[in-house]
Amino acid sequence: MIETPTADLALVPSRPLVEAPIDAVFTIAPGDRVVVDAGASVVVGAPIAERLRDPRLEDKAVSEPVEPRPGDRWHAMPRVVGPATPGGPRGAPGGEYLFPWRSRWRVATGDIVDPLETPVAGIVRDVRPGTSITIRAAGRGVRGVVALGGPTRGRISLASGPEGGLRPGALDVGMAGAILVVDARVDAETLTRARAMGVRGVIVAGLASKERRDFLASEARQRAALHRLPPYAVLVMDGATRRPMAGPIMALLTALVGKEAAIVSDPPMLIFDVPDLAVPTPPAELVRIRAGALSGHEATWVGSAGRRRFGGGVDLEAGRVRLHDGSVVAVPLGDLERFV
Amino acid sequence: MTGDPRAFLAIDRGAATAGAALIGRVGGAWRLLGSVALPAAVDDDALIDLLIRRVEAADAVLARHLGISAQQSGAIPAVTVRTVPPRRLAVVAPSERALAPLLEAASRSGWRTTGASVETTDPLAMTRLLLDGGVHGILAGAGDPPAPDERGPLAEFTALVAAAARRRPDRLVILAGAMAEATDAFGDLNAREGETLLGPAARSGNDGAPLRALLTELAVPADDARRALGPAARTLATVLDRRIELVEIGFDGALRAIASPGDPSTGPTLDVAIVPSARLAPADPDDATVDRVLAWLTVASDRHRLRDRLREMRIAPWSDLTGDGAALRLSAARAALGRLADATPEMSAAAAPDLIVAAGGVWSIAPAPVVALALADVLRRPGASAYALDHARLLGPLGSIPDEDERAAVISDLADDLLAPLGSVVTPAGLRMGRSAGSLVVHGPGGDARGRAPIDLVPGGIEVVDLPPGASATAEFRFRDGVRLGGRGRHFAIDVVGGLAGLVVDLRDVPIKLPERADRRRELLEAWQIAVASGVRE
Repeated sequence: MIETPTADLALVPSRPLVEAPIDAVFTIAPGDRVVVDAGASVVVGAPIAERLRDPRLEDKAVSEPVEPRPGDRWHAMPRVVGPATPGGPRGAPGGEYLFPWRSRWRVATGDIVDPLETPVAGIVRDVRPGTSITIRAAGRGVRGVVALGGPTRGRISLASGPEGGLRPGALDVGMAGAILVVDARVDAETLTRARAMGVRGVIVAGLASKERRDFLASEARQRAALHRLPPYAVLVMDGATRRPMAGPIMALLTALVGKEAAIVSDPPMLIFDVPDLAVPTPPAELVRIRAGALSGHEATWVGSAGRRRFGGGVDLEAGRVRLHDGSVVAVPLGDLERFV
Repeated sequence: MTGDPRAFLAIDRGAATAGAALIGRVGGAWRLLGSVALPAAVDDDALIDLLIRRVEAADAVLARHLGISAQQSGAIPAVTVRTVPPRRLAVVAPSERALAPLLEAASRSGWRTTGASVETTDPLAMTRLLLDGGVHGILAGAGDPPAPDERGPLAEFTALVAAAARRRPDRLVILAGAMAEATDAFGDLNAREGETLLGPAARSGNDGAPLRALLTELAVPADDARRALGPAARTLATVLDRRIELVEIGFDGALRAIASPGDPSTGPTLDVAIVPSARLAPADPDDATVDRVLAWLTVASDRHRLRDRLREMRIAPWSDLTGDGAALRLSAARAALGRLADATPEMSAAAAPDLIVAAGGVWSIAPAPVVALALADVLRRPGASAYALDHARLLGPLGSIPDEDERAAVISDLADDLLAPLGSVVTPAGLRMGRSAGSLVVHGPGGDARGRAPIDLVPGGIEVVDLPPGASATAEFRFRDGVRLGGRGRHFAIDVVGGLAGLVVDLRDVPIKLPERADRRRELLEAWQIAVASGVRE
């Protein structure tokens, strides 16, 4: 925890720079096969479930000695016999008993499964077939506002252009396997091209709604294809408008360059397990202006300015901050944030 | 409250902003000493410390007399309410016809809802919905007795819901209507971790009121601000002896309550709707939401940019409140108010109340007359009402005082402090466009015409008469043709009270019609805003 030098600084909304512990939740659906048990320890890349790609409902008769319960696994005749797992014999997609109906059972099943691999090491805390698997991740995390796609894992690499953005032409196959840090903003075309180049993820400060929608539509089309795609995710750190990445977060991501990290979507986070990493600590009086005319600027906290009138005839609690050019301005407290 | 405190704090910890007010015993009565509002991300200690320091700085003698000091702020008793995000209820039924009233009841009872019926959703998708990790409870209902279109799929539907309930024994399950007779399929209900409740059918009682009451009880926790606003409205109605409508727009939901003092035989009455879909900042604004905000926006924007800003509002609701941000906030508030009105049609259809009270942090950023205009823009009913603002966000905390008499005593003392008078709005309906509708003369308390010439009433516009807070008058309207203003007639004399916006005579259409073209619409909205803001008092 960073010490606050003045009591007034407590009036500035705080944002944790690094969080731990992290419970990452992986969503699964009825019919998906869980291959881990609660309490199990998992390593990076370990399969935790098999997801049915196109699940369907079937009516199945149940032989007399079997008394299934809703959620139990239904096993098709195995095509390939393999070692048993907590979910049943390997090699057969099988399915899941949903509910009994007219002396038979409704079963969720399918033909093709995609393995769901954990991008983080940790302990499986909770398994709810048909709902979710929760893993207490080893390491620490930086929270974003949303993660699209994923989960994924790769090595952190800085990829910002001169204006803090990333253009499609700047991408090449040498970036395959990386999670790219793009400072300010990125468009859908760049995101889809990055995926095609084998990039595993993108971290960006802002993603506009239009780009988000276009990317999600492209992602859905890709996922509907028959071949399995490598995992890919976009982690948005701040919001939907253009502003540079917060300095303390950028410093942390820079410190992580070349190291492996994971992006998970629930909660939307970048998780890294680098115990010896010294997280760059921002000065306690550093504040960031996240909205308004000075959006994206970082400054030094001077003190409370009391209630002030701002544009639009609005009276708000404000603080005085010193910008890098030495000028002191009053900014609504709500437009400020500090990192703790 | 316990003991005999000389001061107490009223804290309303909302999802976007947190408000704290200090109330002290002065001259034998409770009075509001001061209030502050800060972003919700700021903790209570900082909020209270700021408030106490300001009160000490303003009147050190009074602070000492009441035993208030920043060093001992922890010793001041506090009534606290907080707003928690609404939880999600999966609402399922055998048919679309059965689903509609269930969804309607749940969505105005404090729940975020996702609905599905056997008619339009396959069993796999419905199971996926019932098992979804984001779902807190299941409402499964059928008519009582089931309608012909429900009887066929009812058995399979029951088996599906029972199976999902067994798989998630921690989940709240409400079986409504004919589903309440199918408990055998659910096994041993006592063995479940989560509650299993039997409820009335969606349309039973007073158009579903019993089911709505049950769902509301389950939706909001005991210390929730919206739960407290209902009792606060009822007590206020009793104290003021007025029929009151309370509208609250919040970050995660909205509330509309109509309370009346009733008569000695019935006692006070209260009708409350908590509508999460009428929240200020939807998480993922769709085109309809964006268009609705765009319709009220006085600054030029396109759908994409507006959607970006609405997302930003969701992420950091306490930021970007100045300049265009203030206009955006008020447009989003109007859009939310519109959704609230859509969800509560019977309240909109009721006669205009004596007093309309606006609550919620969103109103605190705007000048008072603009708040009155925003309310009048959306809550359009022929009639006359006084408007007021819960400026210090006291109604939630005071409504949480459990003892009715104690609550009434405190609200009675604070009645003049807790509501900022916005003024009176008179809205005649049925005016003929294109010519003068008539005239208005405002008489002071003694019957004088306050030195004014008759005001010509031009349909389609807004007339503002300066009537300061605390003043009262009689507005005498003479219309050329019959209009609706409470009843139908041509000559009306209406008692009005003053406020920060004065007397607003709203001669626009009921319901309001806005131009299709964006530039003309913005011009018109700005013109109305200027009309009411010209009489701003601060």
